[in-house]
Amino acid sequence: MDHLAHVSNLRSSQSQTQISHLALDIGGSLIKLVYFCRYDDSCRDDGDELRSQNDSLCSKSDNNQPVLEGRLHFAKFETSKINDCLDFLRSMKLCLGVNSGSHDGTAPPSDKIFIKATGGGAYKFADLFKEKLGVSLDKEDEMECLVTGANFLLKAVHQEAFTYLDGQKEFVQIDPNDLYPYLLVNIGSGVSMIKVDGDGKFERVSGTSLGGGTFWGLGRLLTKCKNFDELLELSHQGNNRIVDMLVGDIYGGTDYAKIGLSSTTIASSFGKAISDSKELEDYQPEDVSRSLLRMISNNIGQISYLNALRFGLKRIFFAGFFIRGHAYTMDTISVAVNFWSKGEAKAMFLRHEGFLGALGAFMSYEKQCLDGLMVHKMQQKFPISASSAGDNIYCSLSSNSDENGSIECTVYGT
Amino acid sequence: MAGLNGDPILGIDDKIEDLQYKNNNNSNEVVDKEELVGIGEESTTCYKSNQGGEKDMAGSSIHRSGSRPQLDLSKAEIQGNSEERDPTILLPNQSDDISHLALDIGGSLIKLIYFSRHEDQSVEDKRKKTVKERLGISNGNRRSYPVLGGRLHFVKFETSKLNECLDFISSKQLHCGRIDSHHWNSETPANENAVIKATGGGAYKFADLFKERLGVSIEKEDEMDCLVAGANFLLKAIRHEAFTHMEGHKEFVQIDHNDLYPYLLVNIGSGVSIIKVDGDGKFQRVSGTNVGGGTYWGLGRLLTKCNSFDELLELSQRGDNGTIDMLVGDIYGGMDYSKIGLSASTIASSFGKAISDKKELEDYRPEDISLSLLRMISYNIGQISYLNALRFGLKRIFFGGFFIRGHAYTMDTISFAVQFWSQGEAQAMFLRHEGYLGALGAFMSYQKHGLDDLMVHHLVERFPMGAPYTGGKIHGPPLGDLNEKISWMEKFVQKGTEITAPVPMAPPGTTGLGGFEVPSSRGATLRSDASALNVGVLHLVPTLEVFPLLTNPKMYEPNTIDLSDHKELEYWFTVLSEHLPDLVDKAVASEGGIDDAKRRGDAFARAFSAHLARLMEEPAAYGKLGLANLLELREECLREFQFHDAYRSIKQRENEASLAVLPDLLLELDHMDEGTRLLTLIEGVLAANIFDWGSRACVDLYHKGTIIEIYRMSRNKMQRPWRANDFDIFKERMLGSEGKKPKPHKRALLFVDNSGADVVLGMLPLARELLRRGTEVVLVANSLPALNDVTAMELPDIVAEAAKHCDILRRAAEAGGLLVDAMTNTLDGLKGNSSSVPLMVVENGCGSPCIDLRQVSSELAAAAKNADLVILEGMGRALHTNFNARFKCEALKLAMVKNQRLAEKLIKGNIYDCVCRYESAPAS
Repeated sequence: MDHLAHVSNLRSSQSQTQISHLALDIGGSLIKLVYFCRYDDSCRDDGDELRSQNDSLCSKSDNNQPVLEGRLHFAKFETSKINDCLDFLRSMKLCLGVNSGSHDGTAPPSDKIFIKATGGGAYKFADLFKEKLGVSLDKEDEMECLVTGANFLLKAVHQEAFTYLDGQKEFVQIDPNDLYPYLLVNIGSGVSMIKVDGDGKFERVSGTSLGGGTFWGLGRLLTKCKNFDELLELSHQGNNRIVDMLVGDIYGGTDYAKIGLSSTTIASSFGKAISDSKELEDYQPEDVSRSLLRMISNNIGQISYLNALRFGLKRIFFAGFFIRGHAYTMDTISVAVNFWSKGEAKAMFLRHEGFLGALGAFMSYEKQCLDGLMVHKMQQKFPISASSAGDNIYCSLSSNSDENGSIECTVYGT
Repeated sequence: MAGLNGDPILGIDDKIEDLQYKNNNNSNEVVDKEELVGIGEESTTCYKSNQGGEKDMAGSSIHRSGSRPQLDLSKAEIQGNSEERDPTILLPNQSDDISHLALDIGGSLIKLIYFSRHEDQSVEDKRKKTVKERLGISNGNRRSYPVLGGRLHFVKFETSKLNECLDFISSKQLHCGRIDSHHWNSETPANENAVIKATGGGAYKFADLFKERLGVSIEKEDEMDCLVAGANFLLKAIRHEAFTHMEGHKEFVQIDHNDLYPYLLVNIGSGVSIIKVDGDGKFQRVSGTNVGGGTYWGLGRLLTKCNSFDELLELSQRGDNGTIDMLVGDIYGGMDYSKIGLSASTIASSFGKAISDKKELEDYRPEDISLSLLRMISYNIGQISYLNALRFGLKRIFFGGFFIRGHAYTMDTISFAVQFWSQGEAQAMFLRHEGYLGALGAFMSYQKHGLDDLMVHHLVERFPMGAPYTGGKIHGPPLGDLNEKISWMEKFVQKGTEITAPVPMAPPGTTGLGGFEVPSSRGATLRSDASALNVGVLHLVPTLEVFPLLTNPKMYEPNTIDLSDHKELEYWFTVLSEHLPDLVDKAVASEGGIDDAKRRGDAFARAFSAHLARLMEEPAAYGKLGLANLLELREECLREFQFHDAYRSIKQRENEASLAVLPDLLLELDHMDEGTRLLTLIEGVLAANIFDWGSRACVDLYHKGTIIEIYRMSRNKMQRPWRANDFDIFKERMLGSEGKKPKPHKRALLFVDNSGADVVLGMLPLARELLRRGTEVVLVANSLPALNDVTAMELPDIVAEAAKHCDILRRAAEAGGLLVDAMTNTLDGLKGNSSSVPLMVVENGCGSPCIDLRQVSSELAAAAKNADLVILEGMGRALHTNFNARFKCEALKLAMVKNQRLAEKLIKGNIYDCVCRYESAPAS
């Protein structure tokens, strides 16, 4: 899919919208944006209506009147196409610090506009942002952002977490009072495993270099796929048995029951590719992709489970752009956790899985602006089908808010 | 030639071939035989039989070619007549040598382990008989040793060349022998219902082929069972089996076999199995991963155009994974993410850079891809293994399986991962025999193999001629005899890598031979495993025991010089290399200087140089390397080329010369008072110790004077204080002070060193003094010749000759059964008619200038039981080894330091300084 087309699409449809707050997560392969758009007046009624239902949540605020109401939007770009991202931002008529500054009553000069950003690219591309957009990137610690984002989502957003097994998606109600400790597995280019004990209390306990970047990097070399999504798409149609050596291949079709391995268990990923008779061209890209996906998902699931076990954690949440609501990925991770834990542990996923870091960066804006950010739980407009979310990677912004994955929310001033 | 039949690689099971070969020999070699016989008669009368010299020598060579104590001969064996065999050997019904075989047939390699019986010596020479009676060994051979003597051979073939493997088995008749439930014998005719234990996938796949080609059935053993059994055996039975590998540095770890369990065994084959081992046969597969060796090779094949696993591994050594992996530094603009402890070079995402649009597969170097893959998989395995060890609270993680293949970088990355994730708390360990776990386990699954009872001290590992060329790789066809070996060596020199290496050798990866030329990779034969460790032939010697007088056998380290210091290593390699031409000359001369001996001499020089070069390249190639190992390797290498006693004639000459002046010396001593005499005796030991062909400096001396001149000069120069001088303490212990007479020692063990003046003018007079005081004396000498060291075979003659001039020695020797003409009275003498305490000779179980007291002969162990004084004499036994050894009884260490470097290092002194170190018995 041509993502430039999307962007231009967006320009036309969204150019009227004012972005008031923006945060970035610039990862190795993707840039994630979270930005807040104020409602125009036409939307305002909805918000009013729902605000009343959530009054209890606003009790901390001195002023019960929302200062800002609008939607949180989520968008993604490939890091390699950072210019598209910059173009997009320019086209969106960023008000940013100007807006937030207006609430302080001190409008900063434009050369001191800060955007909260996280991810390695926040360092790497700081100069570029300065040059192209005249904004400075205010770097936020990646891990802190991840955790803040996840904590926010798990506590504030209804039906954020779900399990996915055998194609069945099941939302899990998380009691915000019984959330901690949990294991957060963020699958970006690489994988970070973070034990979260509370707000701002967390530790990166493990990780693995076999992550999304490995899937996409190896996948690009092995298939001629042009993008990550295409590779993921391919895996749907593949059969990993062509490439993987299964237990049955070794034991002549029988299970190795003695140690509890069924004949379809993968004994060695890509183990059949050692055959002399076939070259890379002789394998279907679909099969290769499938094998790759299973290898990486399985491995992440296993290492995550072992770490959860190590710290006695009940819940493992998987997030990060690698998952992308992709059913098969979630399925293999779930199967791995299920397999290694002998059914005792369940993998859980977050609907906003790709945006934890960006959300966390967003949350790190000065307290007076966003402390009171509230979410209208009833109003989240999210795609229900995971696959449609998977289709919608490059830029989740579109005129149709139901497919945006945007969240309606209200910001209360202090 | 007749003497060349004992093939230490192939073992006794080759006997039949050897005999045939001998019979077919043409007459022009008869001269050589006679020559040999002549020499043999001169120096080895004590074990000569009435069978005639030729056969005697031939038999001798078979035994001498073996591991340490297998010196004695079996005539019956030479004649191929089993009926005459001494029935006291372990397997009374044994009518033929039996070999046993087990296989691990994997997807790419066939690992074969076979056992060849090594005849327990059954010839009871008179000395031995007397010693045994004296020491209360109830006829040694009747002792039921827990395990057979023999050799375990480790051989590899490529699975694609299965026929070579079948030919090998068939040529060695390995499939004919087997173990039944009663004995290791062959009561039932061979091949009928014969069964070979095997594991690995191919055990199923090739079962029919084995039946068809060899007429044997394959009995499949569970793979996991075999792995664990193999690992347990290795970790318990082999002293330095396990090692760590960090940043290219190997360190051997001694595992206390009482504290082995539980441990985690990670077997990296196509996939990875992670097994928790709790004991013999007690284990559980607790985890695993599908990202294993198959993934490396499978993905590697698809991404590079490599044709073999080894090629892919080799590529990785020249790779830079930074071009493909996304590093932390790439994400953070070259900075570390120190907050969470990630350095800039940490891999954030394996293959993460390959997502770039600009480059296609062809644009990446295969080297970089291979390294990136290797690191990805190794780290991952290390991590998952550590997490599992943590989960079960296991201290030790052992990694094995074909993926590792002794490949340094693989081991380093796994070690790094374990260290990284455990924050230094856990260490990855590897096994020297890692490729053979399954095959060993299958071997262990035979009933009544007896290997379970095998102890560390029963095993001696030998690295035969081919070792430097194999690096533990694939083997070709076997070599029948020494002649073929020499031919191979000669051909190898001419053609280098083109010729096929014999069993247990691999396609040679080297063209270099001699000097310090390091075997280097050339052409298609890449040495991806240059750092891989060799697997030698395991000699099972059930008669070996731990010297019972060691205070702490577990902490005992024989070597004083640690060759892991590379400068030290280089120094000793230079010493040995420089000494080599002289040694070859001596060796060739000892065999009459004939053409055949010259050929063998050349082959020996090449083979030993190759060993040295291999060890310079990888000091840990043959396991933990100490100076003692190196010196012993040289002796073994000589024996392999049938030089059984290179210094034979020199020893003979020097013994005679020394014996001639002994009476004068004894007379001189007898005129001294006790105190002066003791000092003179110790001075004499130290002075006589100058006669040492192992020392370059002394060899130079030899060329300048006669023995007696040197001895006199040496003794005159013996001015105290010596560098390490405990003489006064020793004197007080011996003679007492202020009229108090201390109790004499009950029994003294004298570990003697060189032939000639050293033993005759040094140690014998000291022994005589002890005897005079009523102390039983046991002279402990080498089982096999090493340099000019006196052997247990030669000593009785020397004593007998000395006894002619000395009544004390004569009566003691009679009592000890050393005098041939007194033999008829021996039994009477034992019953109490003897007027003297006995002087005895025992063999130490060694064929090296040094001694490892963890592995000594059972007769020495028996003799040690009542001993309260140990005297170690000479550089090899008192300095190079055992300088730091502590004994349960009193010990005296005497040596002249004939090496400047050693003098500086050990005693901060100079060459020709003397060491007289006395250690009293620790308070018990």
